[in-house]
Amino acid sequence: MRPFSYTNAKNKEQALQTFTKTSHYLGGGTNLVDLMKEDVERPDQLIEVANLEYKNITKNNEGGYTLGGMLSNSETANHPDIRKNYPLLSMAMLSAATAQIRNMATNAGNLLQRTRCPYFFETSMPCNKREPGSGCGAKDGMNALHAIFGYSDKCIATHPSDMCVALAAMNAKVEVQKTDGSSRTIDFTDFHRLPGNQPEKDNTLEPGELITVIHLDEPKFSDHYYYLKIRERSSYAFALVSVAAGLQIKRGVITKAGLAMGGVAHKPWKFTKVEKYLEGKKPNKVNFKAAAEMAMQDAKPFEGNKYKVEMGKKAIVRALTQAFEREA
Amino acid sequence: MKSIKASGIGNPIDRIEGHLKVAGKAKYASEFPVENMVYAQGVNSTIAKGKITSIDTSEAEKQNGVLAVITYKNAEKLKNYPKDMTNFSLTTVAPVFQDRQVHYYGQYIACVVAETFEQAQYACRLIKVTYEEETPDIHLDKNRGKAYKPGESADFSRGDMDAGMREADVTLEQTYTTPIEHQQPMELHAAIVNWNDGKVKMYANQQILNQATTSISETFGIPKEDVQIITPYIGGGFGSKLNVYKHITMATMASKMIGRPVQITVTRHQMFTNTGMRQFDEQEMRLGAKKDGSLTALAHHTTSHTAKNLQYFEACGNVSKMLYKTPNNAVTHRLIPLNIQCPSSMRAPGEATGSFALESAMDELAWKLKMDPIDFRIKNDTQVDMGADKPFSSRLLIECLRIGADKFGWENRKMQPGTNKKGNWLIGYGVSAASRRAPYMKTSAKVVLELNEAAVNANIKMDATDIGTGTYTIVAQTVSEYLGIPVENVKVEIGDSEFPVTPGSGGSWGAASYCNGARKACENAIAKLKKKQNITESEEIEVAELLQQNNLTTFEAEGTAEPSEEYKKHSVFSFGANFTEVWVDKDTGMYRIKRMVNVGSAGKILNPKTAYGQIIGGLTMGAGMVIAERTQVEPNYGNFITRTLADYHVPVNLDMANIDVVFLPEDDKIANEMGVKGIGELGITSVAASIANAIFNATGKRMRDLPITPEKLIEAGLEPGVA
Amino acid sequence: MDEMEKWKNGSDTDQLSKDEEKIFDEIGLNGTSRRKFLKQMSAASLSIWASSYLTSDLLASPARTLPDNPEILLNEVRVNLRVNDMVKQLALDSRTSLLDALRERLQLTGTKKGCDHGQCGACTVMVDGKRKLSCLTLAATCEDKEITTIEGLAENGNLHPMQEAFLKHDGFQCGYCTPGQICSSVALLEEAKNGEASYVTEDFKDVKTDLKLSEEEIRERMSGNICRCGAYNNIVQAFKEVHSGDDEMPTWEFATAKQMEKAKNS
Repeated sequence: MRPFSYTNAKNKEQALQTFTKTSHYLGGGTNLVDLMKEDVERPDQLIEVANLEYKNITKNNEGGYTLGGMLSNSETANHPDIRKNYPLLSMAMLSAATAQIRNMATNAGNLLQRTRCPYFFETSMPCNKREPGSGCGAKDGMNALHAIFGYSDKCIATHPSDMCVALAAMNAKVEVQKTDGSSRTIDFTDFHRLPGNQPEKDNTLEPGELITVIHLDEPKFSDHYYYLKIRERSSYAFALVSVAAGLQIKRGVITKAGLAMGGVAHKPWKFTKVEKYLEGKKPNKVNFKAAAEMAMQDAKPFEGNKYKVEMGKKAIVRALTQAFEREA
Repeated sequence: MKSIKASGIGNPIDRIEGHLKVAGKAKYASEFPVENMVYAQGVNSTIAKGKITSIDTSEAEKQNGVLAVITYKNAEKLKNYPKDMTNFSLTTVAPVFQDRQVHYYGQYIACVVAETFEQAQYACRLIKVTYEEETPDIHLDKNRGKAYKPGESADFSRGDMDAGMREADVTLEQTYTTPIEHQQPMELHAAIVNWNDGKVKMYANQQILNQATTSISETFGIPKEDVQIITPYIGGGFGSKLNVYKHITMATMASKMIGRPVQITVTRHQMFTNTGMRQFDEQEMRLGAKKDGSLTALAHHTTSHTAKNLQYFEACGNVSKMLYKTPNNAVTHRLIPLNIQCPSSMRAPGEATGSFALESAMDELAWKLKMDPIDFRIKNDTQVDMGADKPFSSRLLIECLRIGADKFGWENRKMQPGTNKKGNWLIGYGVSAASRRAPYMKTSAKVVLELNEAAVNANIKMDATDIGTGTYTIVAQTVSEYLGIPVENVKVEIGDSEFPVTPGSGGSWGAASYCNGARKACENAIAKLKKKQNITESEEIEVAELLQQNNLTTFEAEGTAEPSEEYKKHSVFSFGANFTEVWVDKDTGMYRIKRMVNVGSAGKILNPKTAYGQIIGGLTMGAGMVIAERTQVEPNYGNFITRTLADYHVPVNLDMANIDVVFLPEDDKIANEMGVKGIGELGITSVAASIANAIFNATGKRMRDLPITPEKLIEAGLEPGVA
Repeated sequence: MDEMEKWKNGSDTDQLSKDEEKIFDEIGLNGTSRRKFLKQMSAASLSIWASSYLTSDLLASPARTLPDNPEILLNEVRVNLRVNDMVKQLALDSRTSLLDALRERLQLTGTKKGCDHGQCGACTVMVDGKRKLSCLTLAATCEDKEITTIEGLAENGNLHPMQEAFLKHDGFQCGYCTPGQICSSVALLEEAKNGEASYVTEDFKDVKTDLKLSEEEIRERMSGNICRCGAYNNIVQAFKEVHSGDDEMPTWEFATAKQMEKAKNS
């Protein structure tokens, strides 16, 4: 680890004012501290924000709930209001990492997880995300774990979060504080970005912006939800492909669908078109299969990750089926 | 001698060192409080082949707390490898920083010593190196022309393979591949080394102390007696701690240079690049059988790789020489030198991988013969090791298979794959036969008796190690048994190279060797005490009384046990059978092991509790071979792209399921006087095949390339002949 | 002697714990013979009746003060670490992980470094009652937090029931992941009481407390602690016994003479 100074921010003002362009906010540290040990992240100042006040879950004006950014993943996933109203979110969050890590990781930090691409982690390898201009090692190297949607010539990495896949399926908004004291709200689908020519930027945050809370829409998928995570071992592994599926079903017809996939793109991949397609349809195998075909038709895999197309289809059908069959 | 029933051998007592382990008080290599200690860290090369052209350490040396940076420029001259390919043995030297050459990605090129761990770690990042890079040989396929035969023992043949194949009614020719795997014990390789006045003393997690001290003394050109290694507890080895690796050399050199004790803890990343691995193996199998199931031919050809300057060779094909009766048999091994670190032993080297190929092939042939795979194996059982032309000292493989089949409920297995279904799950049963050589080696021990009123306390010393295998406990039970004293009165002191010499822990020889050595010391003590009083050997007398009659309060004796002539005339093996039930998700390619039954015939079971641990540990690591363990080499740069425990997936708790173990009562006095056989590697042997065979039975997909990941299962097609 | 004094003098490590006292008593070692045995302990002394803290060796001294030397530390932070109900003020490099602070500065080496990157669980400790990874926790962030390590689980010299259960069910082999497994298990008891869910929980909407965890649930929730020796089965048994209070039976057996006979002749 490079040397850094440490500041424990007492309040948000202190955090924002202390921030310089080489600072990093520290939440649970589960990703940042690891990356600092790997010499991938090299802040010269850490500002601990984990003790700031944003640690509650409250009802919001849209009929939904607002999650504190500094609340831990496990407290969020286990909160009775979240489990009852947003079980899809609980399930996705609990599929991630381990109990220890979920106890440490914050909600804001979860959104800011960086890719698990091995070229990103290994400083002796080329990686445009870690070192712009150095090239992408994965494109012509080992890309079994990489993107099949939305990548660029510069970067084919994927976003590793499970929580974010559920948030993408559910519709959420991220509220951030700017260093000048003002705040803004970002649609969840606009929060993460595609790599394009700037793969070093994972999201649309400006330097110094601090995630304070996450707003959730009114609950729609509390009866029909499933988060399917396909991975190499049964627990404590990142997804090869994951699917968050939420359905609202009234009188045998899908009235609202949420569908997003993890492990396939630089951001949680929301299938907006497929969601629309499912709405008004009956929840059955034929429609789920059609949805899966539609979802995966634009996939452009690499040599190493062709399997993700077929796996993705199977995963969508399974997740939608499980969501539908779940006893309401 | 009268046995203390509650604590002698055969009883499932708790581990005697267990209190310390569950309380967090057992001290591992890096944990001893040593005054004035500093920290060292190794720096790895970032090319796979070439020459260092410059190395700038100035920035690192300027940092607070940094005491030294060692590179080829300022390293002391050590005994280096000979020019040609050197056999990588347990006593091979471990030179470091002797020249500018880089032979593999991650080779140590520098070492930083600093006051704190944080300082050392950071300073490593500041060393600037330039290289003259050459194209490394990293692909097996592109270097097949360089394959060579690693010595005469690499090839074996009996009868006429081609004739045997012609005679066969049914044949099978298939290739099985197993990836590079890493041992990855939970405890990182570590040492605290103190060089003092030409002598070196270290806490270091080495599995075999007597060989390690030789390696270190030869590397530094100092007498073996001047090297002491202390290692009371070792946090797992699985073969990776058999050899002396270069972090030991770095820390020793550093301590000598700066005159302070040096701690080095290898990083988990370096556990991939610098502390050994299991190599990639490609195994071509050719089998032929008559309609009745009798094998007519069996060939096993292995191609794997070794380092450019060091040769490590493991005999995957040996299992095909001895497990089944076949008139025609051919086994070959070829190595291809690559710019990848030298492979080394990983739990059941040769057997773990070789048995995957053989026991998968046997399952395939049984399927082709439309025979039950257990019947097929029993049909080809042999009581003679045809490869060595010696009888087995004892072989209960048929009993293992039949008792296991009953216990497991094998009769419920569906012959036709894909027909046992439950919801989204396809259910399959798999079986495999296991065999592992049960070696026994010369071992010495010293026992000190002390009379304390009417009780006798015994202190046994040997340079043995306990890598989780239960050495403390089984040695204590042995001493309890042969002295006739309660186990609580036995103090076991191991893990110090100054104690009497043993073969150390590895190769499944530990339990048999350690316990017979301890037995011999106890027997000698009693014989000497009896002789002094002219008591006949056969007379039963309490050891306390013996001491009293001799008017002694303390007495010590040494003993050395070694294999008999009978042992040498036989092939001595442990045998076993593995049964696995697997549930495969029909769509996603994910699967779960639902239960396992293992039946083992491994001689006298010294302590079924710790023996059970060895078996389930082997099964778990074997399951890891199938589930996800695989280290991949980056095709363009030659580094391991699998570089952390987040990439290298060893089994987690949820991957495993209930495991029932049945031990067979086996009395094999040819193996050794106590009839003890190794069990540490038996568990991992062939379990991969039993899982892969279960996956076939569930899905109809024959998976011949480990690991069997969801992506491979999704892409695999059905085997011809499966409906 | 108050706790601070005990800590400073290191006497908590020099003296026998209640457990060790108990072992000595059980095996009838008293007075001079006890002292004599202690004296005999050599460097690698690993007897059943002594803590390895008692090890004496030319190399080893009981306490380590280095490096409380502020001039060599950049970005020094001063932290009051409250570990196992004792408080120690440390001057640390801001980069120091909680794990390294425990092991290298406080000699609390029960907490293990398995990977240093949050990928194995060997460094699990409890922070304010929650299991967390000490390798990814900066010591600087631990001011005012209550840290419990494996060394702090025993009470009044008695092992925690979970420690006893691990011993009884052989929930370890090499012992290196064990402190993490036990800390994780102890925290999991509490999580089950609180009704926390896991990925394998059937119905997330069914919120209740005092859960009785199925084997599948236990395995999933213990999957953050890797045991390379593969003692998972025994770990599950140990946990179950403490969690449910039932006696767990071993899953090994010896074949009977009848079974052997049948197998040989069928």
